[in-house]
Amino acid sequence: MKLLDRYNRFSLLTTILVIVVTGFVYYFTISYILTGQVDKDLLVEEHEIFDYVKLNNRLPQVFKSEDLTIRFEPIKRDTVIRQFAQTRFYDEKEHDQESGRTLFSSVKVGPQLYRIQITESTVETEDLIRVIFIITLSIIFVLLIILLLINRVLMRKLWEPFYLTLKQIKLFNLADRNGICPVDTHIDEFYDLNQEVTAMSQRVLQDYQSLKSFTENASHELMTPLAVIISKLETLMQDVDITERQGVLISEAYTTVDRLKKLNRSMLLLARIENKLMPDQDDIDLSLFVENKMLEFQELLADKGIIVIQDLRYRQLRINRDLLNILFNNLLGNAISHNRAGGQLIIHLNELSLSFCNTGTAVALNEQTIFQRFYKSPESEGTGLGLTLVKQICDNYGFILSYTFEDKLHCFKVRFST
Amino acid sequence: MQNFDLTVKILVIEDEQGLRDSIREYFAGGGNICETASDYTSALEKINMYRYDCILLDITLPNGNGLDILEALKANHYPDGVLIISAKNSLDDRLQGLDLGADDYLTKPFHLSELKARVMAIVRRKSFDGNREIIFHELTINLLAKQVSVCNLPVKLTKKEYALLLYFMANKGKVISKNAIAEHLWGDEIDISDNFDFIYSHIKNLRKKLIDTGSRDYIQSAYGMGYKFTDH
Repeated sequence: MKLLDRYNRFSLLTTILVIVVTGFVYYFTISYILTGQVDKDLLVEEHEIFDYVKLNNRLPQVFKSEDLTIRFEPIKRDTVIRQFAQTRFYDEKEHDQESGRTLFSSVKVGPQLYRIQITESTVETEDLIRVIFIITLSIIFVLLIILLLINRVLMRKLWEPFYLTLKQIKLFNLADRNGICPVDTHIDEFYDLNQEVTAMSQRVLQDYQSLKSFTENASHELMTPLAVIISKLETLMQDVDITERQGVLISEAYTTVDRLKKLNRSMLLLARIENKLMPDQDDIDLSLFVENKMLEFQELLADKGIIVIQDLRYRQLRINRDLLNILFNNLLGNAISHNRAGGQLIIHLNELSLSFCNTGTAVALNEQTIFQRFYKSPESEGTGLGLTLVKQICDNYGFILSYTFEDKLHCFKVRFST
Repeated sequence: MQNFDLTVKILVIEDEQGLRDSIREYFAGGGNICETASDYTSALEKINMYRYDCILLDITLPNGNGLDILEALKANHYPDGVLIISAKNSLDDRLQGLDLGADDYLTKPFHLSELKARVMAIVRRKSFDGNREIIFHELTINLLAKQVSVCNLPVKLTKKEYALLLYFMANKGKVISKNAIAEHLWGDEIDISDNFDFIYSHIKNLRKKLIDTGSRDYIQSAYGMGYKFTDH
């Protein structure tokens, strides 16, 4: 739930609750005051009756007024409790039952005790209360809606710098080298947030860069000692009096150093692709490229007796030639070296994708791990970086690399970006 | 049959002594002259005094940049071939080097056999006598037509077999490792180290084709380390 919605929900509930409570308080206060006013009128009337009785020693003439009716009733004993009450009475003029306020009292004329019932219509009072109540409520509701709308618009506007910052954080990618830009805002909180995030992104980028260049430098620095070792082993190989045992040992050491060299090169290459340091691109006819690759690898394929099935459509791709070479060499190399003798290699190329399917082990590979760095099957002699490189190249160009195992075929598919 | 042996005079500009010595030793013999320089100043002195068939140039040198030496060579219109050997595989360096007029670029670490093959290719390209043939006893390789013949009888080789023979020729009398052969033929990204049997069968094919056409057997196996192309 958004902060704004949460805030709105809370404030709306509170406002409604307060309004309802206030409404009740308001209603009762007004009706209390107005009833008090009516009661005062009734008391004045009663007083007049008392005065009249005292003076004339008889009951006054009962007259009918607009909203005041007085009735006398002879009663036997002194049982009347002087009190006010809400009553209903029949309005003869309106021919309608109306609510009224009545004062019950008693007066003694000579020996006879009379009950006095003074009733005043409260219709107007109630109408008044109702009107006041409705007007007040309407004003409050209109105010509420306006406030809500203002909140919505204002809040959106106020939170805008926050969302801008958030969007940048979401898009933040280390490899892109694009830091987070400062957002122009006068709100202290958002300004602080943005400042901190901007500074943090710069720090992270810097750290990442220094780590990257450290890796790259370390790999570079390793190259020269490796070159020396390899050249020394090659020089040693030239000796005429090497025994067979020595030859095997030299060969093993040499092969291992060679692997180290490849590993180091792959790591450098990975760093370079991640840093987007391979920018130049060519328009390459992929079908032609695949055919040339197959020629390049024909001896390797023939040696293992691998049957190649090709279905190539014309597809032009804008890509760095070196990277395309690496991508193909790795995918093809895997398809050949992990294939069984007399197996199959099926290559599909069309407008949308390129796929390599090969026979091999009967068990599917784990899609989660094969693209990870330094993962390799136990029998593999490789660096464990081949598929990582392929993945990195694909990521770099927005291609999607996937692996499937169907009909005993291991398939690697590169889907091009449109 | 006349034996045409290309002798070369090279200068190795490289600050790493171990590598310098190895290169010198590898190129020595067969009438080749190999001089060395370990830093920028001595290298500049040498290139201003002597001419070489090929200069092996390291880019990162003590007290200077190898590319400046290349610029000095080109500014003086010296015809020396230049092969850059650098630990940096960065495209910028490579492009810059080739733009400045280097003939080739090899990234460290490299196989000495690969280095020699590249140097020989540069020297041959640069040679003015228009000699486009390599002759070794009864073997003749026509570099323009990319054809091999034994006593004027053509041998039909595949592209890879031709490249392999040329590689052997450039490294006559040297043991070439199987790794170097694999890398030369298929590049270094491909892992076919578990496929060394394959190199064996490949070499067997080449040998068979040459012998069948009447050549002597020049390719020897060297204790599982690699192979050697030699006439003794």
